[in-house]
Amino acid sequence: MLEMHHISKVYRTDTVETHALRDFSLRVEEGEFVAVTGPSGSGKTTFLNIAGMLEDFTSGTYRLDAEDVSDLGDDARSRIRNEKIGFIFQSFNLIPDLNVFDNVDVPLRYRGFTGAERRRRIEEAVELVGLTSRMRHLPSQLSGGQQQRVAIARALAGAPRFLLADEPTGNLDSEMADGVMALLEDINSAGTTIVMVTHDADLAGRAPRNVQVLDGWVQDTTQAIDSPVASQAPAELAVVGS
Amino acid sequence: MEFGPIWRASLRNKTGPILMALQIALTLAVIVNAVFIIKQRIDKITRPTGMDVDNIVTVQSFGFGEDFNLQESVPQDLAELEAIPGVLAVTSSQHVPLSGSGWGTELAGSSEDGAPRVNGAQYFVNADAVNAFGVKLESGRAFTAEDVEYPESFGVPISQVIMTRAYLDALFPEGGAQAGATVYDKLGNPVTVIGVLDTMHGAWVGWDELENVMLVPRVMPVESNYYIVRAEPGERDRVMPQVEQTLLATNDRRVVKSLRTHSEIRDSSYQGDRGMAVVLAVVVSLMVMVTGVGIVGLASFAVRQRIKQIGTRRAVGARRQDILRYFMVENWMITTAGVMLGSVLTIAVNYWMVASFELERLDPLYVPAGVLALWLLGLLGVAGPARKASAISPAIATRTV
Ligand SMILES: Nc1ncnc2c1ncn2[C@@H]1O[C@H](COP(=O)(O)OP(=O)(O)O)[C@@H](O)[C@H]1O
Ligand SMILES: [Mg+2]
Repeated sequence: MLEMHHISKVYRTDTVETHALRDFSLRVEEGEFVAVTGPSGSGKTTFLNIAGMLEDFTSGTYRLDAEDVSDLGDDARSRIRNEKIGFIFQSFNLIPDLNVFDNVDVPLRYRGFTGAERRRRIEEAVELVGLTSRMRHLPSQLSGGQQQRVAIARALAGAPRFLLADEPTGNLDSEMADGVMALLEDINSAGTTIVMVTHDADLAGRAPRNVQVLDGWVQDTTQAIDSPVASQAPAELAVVGS
Repeated sequence: MEFGPIWRASLRNKTGPILMALQIALTLAVIVNAVFIIKQRIDKITRPTGMDVDNIVTVQSFGFGEDFNLQESVPQDLAELEAIPGVLAVTSSQHVPLSGSGWGTELAGSSEDGAPRVNGAQYFVNADAVNAFGVKLESGRAFTAEDVEYPESFGVPISQVIMTRAYLDALFPEGGAQAGATVYDKLGNPVTVIGVLDTMHGAWVGWDELENVMLVPRVMPVESNYYIVRAEPGERDRVMPQVEQTLLATNDRRVVKSLRTHSEIRDSSYQGDRGMAVVLAVVVSLMVMVTGVGIVGLASFAVRQRIKQIGTRRAVGARRQDILRYFMVENWMITTAGVMLGSVLTIAVNYWMVASFELERLDPLYVPAGVLALWLLGLLGVAGPARKASAISPAIATRTV
């Protein structure tokens, strides 16, 4: 369902050019759960942003659901993000002034659902993440794990086919991280495709497929993260990549 | 439209919006009342005087020496002034209308004791006064040379006058009085109204009875008087210096001074009103500017504070126009709260001014006009920040902590 071919992304400032991705190719099939790992600065977030159409790429082709996205206008991208993609962020990105209900409601309003439909979906999604009793709480009144679950409810309420998570457990302690991971696994087994960027080797190991990004290149591997490849590859590939 | 969440979110950061709404309320109250006062002043300044002010030159003759005799000088002066090419009509006059100085009088519509007296301004003028002032005779007749009296003392009763319709109606409140009516002076002497003028303004522009004016065909036994010289259209400035020269040449036992155009005199009498209008216009402009800047500032602040939130909204599906609308709606709610409060405040301020300064009651249409203006100001103010907000990249969602 996601197909990237020879994607490159160059960030230009007045003085420097950063090649965040180079010749990046990746296929993700419907229903997969892919963990993306790699050192800091290797281009994981850049990849996720391009996958989620949050930013443009410099060259290459990207097909989402067999549709070439590079020609799409801004509104069309917004619509696809709204309907097909759910985002989960490292720092939760809840709107601090809105309670749980209103936060989960945000994408649904852009979707143009009726009030009754939105309410049904919000209640369902919040129940799925186990926070029904916190419906009127503000983010500041919730723990980090709870906030991330609200964010997951927000991502799920629109029933997306595709979930993108950038270090979803990065700001959580291991117990909370575990809960969030379990939730994602449930969601995936219900049919939603998930691409998750993570630092955490244990969590990545729980995903059926791992992809390593090193200096803007992709190393596709389904091996466990504690394999020798993972610990040796960075140095080698960094040399190749620079 | 997402009024609900915008409203609930703004309740959590209410200080800025509340202060803004209060400022908008205050602005509405000040600008609506100020604009109303400005409008009244402009109406006052531009109301028809009944006279051909723009073509009139006035000048004062001030006699000195034992053998100067104004009553002898006037007929000669008039003849010489009329002979100046470009002059349409000339009259002597004890004072100049609209100048702020003049003689008042009191008349009554009946000779009965206790009949109500009505104040007016009186001008001692000459035969051609109606033409020289350029006033319009509604009915009756103008003066002739035979009508003009040269009394030896002040006490000689007046026998015939021309007066304004306003003065006549004030003397006969039941209405319908016409030329030929008899009015009575302070001592009860009858005075015949031989002509009625449409409109003519008297001496004091701030006076309520400015339109109560009476012309008396008489040259008083004094040393000084004015001449009202009405030029043909476009000739005034050419005629002006000749007026002075002619008077000096006709009789040198006098000082000729205060050579001025009538419009200059009118303008200086209305200086206070104009000054007030200008000051208020400056206040209104400043108020609008400060509030406009305030709106821009608050909206920019709101945008800057919510960059991550905007990126997140974009990431989860908001189009640019949704972001634009969010800030428009938020601003509109603040402005609307402000103008609602402001409307009440506006009317309260007006009531207070009516009570304390005898101002006129506000024309109620000014309030919705002011509300519209502030809504527009709000929209203009928020437009820039909201556009900036809508340009924020959705990538911000993953790039900010
Ligand atoms: N907006 C940007 N402008 C310039 N350089 C950027 C920008 N965003 C990311 N980069 C650079 O691109 C590279 C990849 O960044 P990123 O994708 O965030 O890495 P990761 O998520 O793997 O830590 C880094 O060198 C980073 O500094
Ligand atoms: Mg990253």
